[in-house]
Amino acid sequence: MQPETAPRPAGAPLADDESAAELAGLDALDTPTVRRVPWWRRFLRTGVPPIVAFALFIGVWQLIWASAIVPEFKIPAPLAVWDSFATVVGDGQVLSILWTSISRAFVGFAMALVIAVPLGLLVARVRVVRAAIGPLLSGLQSLPSVAWVPAAVLWFGLTDSTIYFVVLAGSIPSIANGLVSGIDQIPPIFPRVGKVIGASGLATARHILLPAALPGFLAGCKQGWAFSWRSLMAAEIIAAGPLLGIGLGAFLKEGSDFNDMPKVIAAIFLILVVGIGIELLIFRPIERRVLRVRGLAAGV
Amino acid sequence: MTTTTTGTETTATRTPAAPGQPEAVRLEGVGKTFGSGSDAVTALQNVDLAVAPGEFVCLLGASGCGKSTLLNLVAGLDEPTAGTLTRPAGSPSFMFQEAALLPWLTAGRNVELPLQLSGLSRSARRARAAELLTLVRLDGLADKRPHELSGGMRQRVSLARALAAATGPDGAGGGVLLMDEPFAALDAITRDALQGELLRVWRATGTTIVFVTHDVREAVRLAQRVVLLSSRPGTVVGEWAVGDDRDRLHDEITGRLRQVIASHAA
Repeated sequence: MQPETAPRPAGAPLADDESAAELAGLDALDTPTVRRVPWWRRFLRTGVPPIVAFALFIGVWQLIWASAIVPEFKIPAPLAVWDSFATVVGDGQVLSILWTSISRAFVGFAMALVIAVPLGLLVARVRVVRAAIGPLLSGLQSLPSVAWVPAAVLWFGLTDSTIYFVVLAGSIPSIANGLVSGIDQIPPIFPRVGKVIGASGLATARHILLPAALPGFLAGCKQGWAFSWRSLMAAEIIAAGPLLGIGLGAFLKEGSDFNDMPKVIAAIFLILVVGIGIELLIFRPIERRVLRVRGLAAGV
Repeated sequence: MTTTTTGTETTATRTPAAPGQPEAVRLEGVGKTFGSGSDAVTALQNVDLAVAPGEFVCLLGASGCGKSTLLNLVAGLDEPTAGTLTRPAGSPSFMFQEAALLPWLTAGRNVELPLQLSGLSRSARRARAAELLTLVRLDGLADKRPHELSGGMRQRVSLARALAAATGPDGAGGGVLLMDEPFAALDAITRDALQGELLRVWRATGTTIVFVTHDVREAVRLAQRVVLLSSRPGTVVGEWAVGDDRDRLHDEITGRLRQVIASHAA
């Protein structure tokens, strides 16, 4: 005997406003409460710890330098690195260096997207293609793209083509794989929903499949960006030449060629800052928005 | 099996207008077999069923009676392997056990999507969606995301979306709504409230409803007609029109259902 219909005589429904009130009460009781965290508390929780960690790191570095157990040319003073950093920033050279590298990374990443998206769609939706190149695509992800540099230099010489080839080789597999797993992980109920509300063919892709695959695709893009940035730096460090201009990698190589340790470390920091900066300024906000809208990352 | 056609021949055509009472859905000798040869599993066999426009029919049965298979056939998600199936001209709409709202859209946009797919203009579909949300008592919540709603509210958004798909752009013609145990995952209090809501919405819209459940009490409360299916393979073993004495009917159907289930004891 189920209790829910017991007290009401069959065939005698509740009065309309009575049931409306009951329903409104249920809604009020059952609605999940959303806890909004104020921005300053979020900053305290996520912004402060890395700043403290960074300050500690500088402090330890300063201590090691002051104790002079390692020769100066191996570990320079934090201040010397700062000076070297201030010099490139001061004379404006940093802008052209950053522009050279970041524009390459962006153009490379954009080309990678253009190639990887159709490729990922093919692998995800066409069984033969998946069987043929799916394993290769996953395998290429674990191949360090530096391995392509010597071959690319032989093919294209010391030109931008070499750089772009290495960047593409590094990022395409990640982006394509991200899209494939994004599509694979679509809950089967969504395509069925699409079918029963009248979507077919392109409309299904546009309204159901692509939005449903978006979180996985974004994760792939994020990884693809990291890989393309890494590959770019590797290519710039190894392949230096007059046709290539001075990017961050060449800048680092220059410091190392002249035994200028502060410059080397300043370059490493710049590379790190750009990598983290792009992730924080571009990918993180997009990803956060996508996940929050879907209720997938309440705390993020 | 009387008539046998291949699945593709049983396309959706409007019911031949029998005088007075053209059916919204009609199944004649419908069967569905999955697989072939020795592995073949017959889910449905020789099912005859006719549902009149505006009628509320509950399909009742224990596990394995092919209730969901039957709904999938009527919805056009699957094709029968035997018999003829006549569906209404527009595609019937479907409500699942889970609300299955698209999490990247707001409640309002979820309801709008079927209207958008049928080519309705932006302002028209927005107005229609607001109307449907009001009908399920969710007015003003169009901008909420599915995860911000309770289970019962989500299932009502799902009902509004199904109605949008069933009744078409202008809301004319009741349409056919297929429901696959839509309240089974809800708690008892919410389920009770939503059953009441569904009856109210059904009366307000004149939609034809085919509702699958394994809960006799739910079937007797909601339906005008209860159809009992046997299991493995599923076929119709009993039909009751629901009158005033629902308690007696509940006991009668429960007794028959027990017999059907007991007959499966090997």
